[in-house]
Amino acid sequence: MSIERFAGALLLLLGVAAHPLPAQNAAEVDKGRQLFLGMCSRCHGAEGGGGEGPSLNRSLTRATDDQALRTIIQEGIPDRGMPRTRRLSNGELSAMAAYVRSLGRHAEVAGQGNAEKGKAVYQRLGCASCHVIAGQGGILGPELTNIGVRRAPGYLRQAILDPAAVLPRGGTDVPGRGFNEYLPVRIVTREGREVNGLRVNEDSFSIQVRDAGSQLYSFQKADLQKLDKEFGKSLMPDYKTRAADADLDDLVAYLASLGGAK
Amino acid sequence: MRIERLRAWICAGVCLALSGGAVMAQVPYRRIAGAESDPSTWVTYSGNYQAQRFSLLDQINRQNVAQLKPTWMYQMRHPGIVETSPIVVDGVMYLTEPPSTATALDVRTGRPLWTYTPKIPSDVIVIGSPPVNRGVAVLDDLVFFGTVNCHLIALDAKTGIVRWDTMVDDNKKGYYVTSAPLAIDGRIIIGISGAETGIRGFLDAYDPKTGKRLWRTYTVPAPGEPGRETWGGDSWQHGGGSTWVTGSYDPDLHLLYWGTGNPGPDWNDDVRPGDNLYTCSLLAIDPANGKIKWHFQFTPHDVHDWDATEIPVLFDAEVQGRRRKVVSMANRNGFYYLLDRATGEFLTAVPYVKQNWTDGLDAKGRPFARRDADPKAEGTLVYPAITGSANWYSPSYSPKTRLFYHAARQMAGIYFKGDAEYKDGTAYTGGGGDTKNGDEASGAILAWEASSGKLRWEFKLLTPPWAGLLSTAGGLVFGGTEEGNFFALDAENGKPLWQLQLGGRVAANPVSFAIDGKQQVAIAAGSSLFVFGLP
Ligand code: HEC
Ligand code: HEC
Repeated sequence: MSIERFAGALLLLLGVAAHPLPAQNAAEVDKGRQLFLGMCSRCHGAEGGGGEGPSLNRSLTRATDDQALRTIIQEGIPDRGMPRTRRLSNGELSAMAAYVRSLGRHAEVAGQGNAEKGKAVYQRLGCASCHVIAGQGGILGPELTNIGVRRAPGYLRQAILDPAAVLPRGGTDVPGRGFNEYLPVRIVTREGREVNGLRVNEDSFSIQVRDAGSQLYSFQKADLQKLDKEFGKSLMPDYKTRAADADLDDLVAYLASLGGAK
Repeated sequence: MRIERLRAWICAGVCLALSGGAVMAQVPYRRIAGAESDPSTWVTYSGNYQAQRFSLLDQINRQNVAQLKPTWMYQMRHPGIVETSPIVVDGVMYLTEPPSTATALDVRTGRPLWTYTPKIPSDVIVIGSPPVNRGVAVLDDLVFFGTVNCHLIALDAKTGIVRWDTMVDDNKKGYYVTSAPLAIDGRIIIGISGAETGIRGFLDAYDPKTGKRLWRTYTVPAPGEPGRETWGGDSWQHGGGSTWVTGSYDPDLHLLYWGTGNPGPDWNDDVRPGDNLYTCSLLAIDPANGKIKWHFQFTPHDVHDWDATEIPVLFDAEVQGRRRKVVSMANRNGFYYLLDRATGEFLTAVPYVKQNWTDGLDAKGRPFARRDADPKAEGTLVYPAITGSANWYSPSYSPKTRLFYHAARQMAGIYFKGDAEYKDGTAYTGGGGDTKNGDEASGAILAWEASSGKLRWEFKLLTPPWAGLLSTAGGLVFGGTEEGNFFALDAENGKPLWQLQLGGRVAANPVSFAIDGKQQVAIAAGSSLFVFGLP
């Protein structure tokens, strides 16, 4: 173990050992909680339980030491769906870091699921026809290789039961910050040809689209009769009736285990 | 050739030059003041002192613009965001590269003639914007530009050799320069950035020959000066009010028009009760001595970072039935303003994007600002967003169509109030903001009647733009998008006539000039500068 790694591990241990909090720290943590509610909870959940962003009450994979945590809070992880929210004063930054460190470190509450069984459910339900895990699978939907690091179990569950309720946004460089990814579009060209697919990219004058058969299209907007962007819609089937409850628990446990999250 | 003869020969040439015979000062003041008489040049930041960013050239027009082809490209030697607006005169293009390099290119080929990069300390403080530079000014045979460590430098226009290098103010306190200087008769006017570090803003004038400071006008009054009562306690000391976008000039009225930026701290106003003059204002300044002749404050007691550092555009028009000398501004706060530029009298203002921070304006143009739109610890959703509905990038006014063209940003922001502790050279913002970006935001090129603000046409953009506009006598409006399109619209109706994807964000202003009698249009995109002409 290199010195840096060792120091990181030590800090992590200290972070865990710091419960219950010493009194002088409590005010700082409380201030951090307020800031977190305003800036972070919409993605990481009210008490860091996770959602669109990963839960923060497990052992952190990126924010392994204090410096890394402060950098993430200050700069975000812009190409991975965590924008930089705003500049913080040093005091605010310390408070925010203290709060994130104060979150209990416990094994992920991924339900009662069994990840091994979940893997089989994943195969049986045909998820792989649209998703890649470790190089294997279809490409209509997003790659799930590291999904356990990016999303919390609650979010994963919702993505399966009601895909349109949790649409990914702005986590990749293309189409870019804040843009809906996998946005379904319906296009009719001036000649009357119809194309339905997912938006790959767009600028003020053109749009690039991929259809369910992986065919790529490019259009000048001036050449289109109709361009409907179907916000709030998903091309993923919902599994409300397709998966038994137990299967769902296992499936979520499997997805949550992907990418090395504990 | 023997040495002596060579020497005699050189001497003859130099002596001839020194005696003034064939070689004249390149760009005397009267050449800038009369920019209209030679539209083959682009002699000052906004094209003319009225800051109209309008070209009288009409070779490229509605009929043939679709045939535009690249003439040459130049790739910046220095990485970073390119916001430069080139100057073109006498066969040379002068531009800046990020963060603080000045370069001269042969305008026929794009080949560098010289480039100069000052030594910038590695611990340079640039808070409040990326380290950009928007261009140079030329006067006589000198080229002037500002640097991120807050120097103003004069270079020999032919060689790039330093004539003088003056420190404008202390970068350790957060002062820096991003804007192009303005060259007028016997004065180089330069504005500064730094309000996010709690500086006290000012505008400076320097002697072009020596680099000696001629005057400094603070944008935040000290004790004993008028306007001091608009600042609670000692807050004026760190009151902000940067001057970071090049202003305009009326040689007849002998007045400079310069916008000022936000008060400090930006989003936490606890320490600065009052209107906070002269932040978020337009100042009319006598260039002889720097005296403020009049001021107009667009956003009193700003809490949204709505700098009035947009281009003040000058034109004459009939406004509300009376002939006026007008100064106009498409302000960052969502309104288009018309003022009488002789007196500063408020004439009218019209909202041009969705806004929810004020219940309109009173008869004198003062907003009825809504306190429920103030930043809060948990965030407040406000239109427009922190970067505003306008920003530093230039609008355009066409004396032919009498339309004002503006690239509008249509976006909401979430404003957070946070801690503000003043410490030299560190952020003194008191919060910050997030934006509702991506599919939730958009942009538009808007054309409105300059004399009234009445909308004439709109061309929609996918995202809020960060690029300026150029209108031309050829009936065109050129502009750029965040996604990398450079485009031309019909100036009369906004119809798209040509566009090209340049492969990088367009975050600069277009200019037009001629090479050997052929009209060109230039724009920076990504890390390159592109010049286009007809085949
Ligand atoms: C728009 C959603 C979003 C917001 C807002 C957001 N995050 Fe994140 N955050 C994410 C995502 C997504 C990731 C996972 C990125 C990855 O590693 O792929 C992440 C990762 C992190 C990590 C790294 C976790 C680890 O395992 O090391 C930390 C720490 C973190 N966020 C803290 C914060 C804090 C503190 C805030 C508020 C200032 C915040 N986030 C705001 C989406 C968000
Ligand atoms: C027909 C193709 C298709 C199938 C089959 C499919 N998905 Fe998806 N999935 C998508 C698309 C497209 C998205 C992108 C977001 C959206 O539209 O919902 C997505 C999104 C997701 C996400 C959210 C990713 C994120 O980062 O937000 C998860 C998790 C997911 N799918 C899991 C599954 C699982 C588990 C199955 C099998 C039970 C499955 N998907 C089956 C197409 C599919």
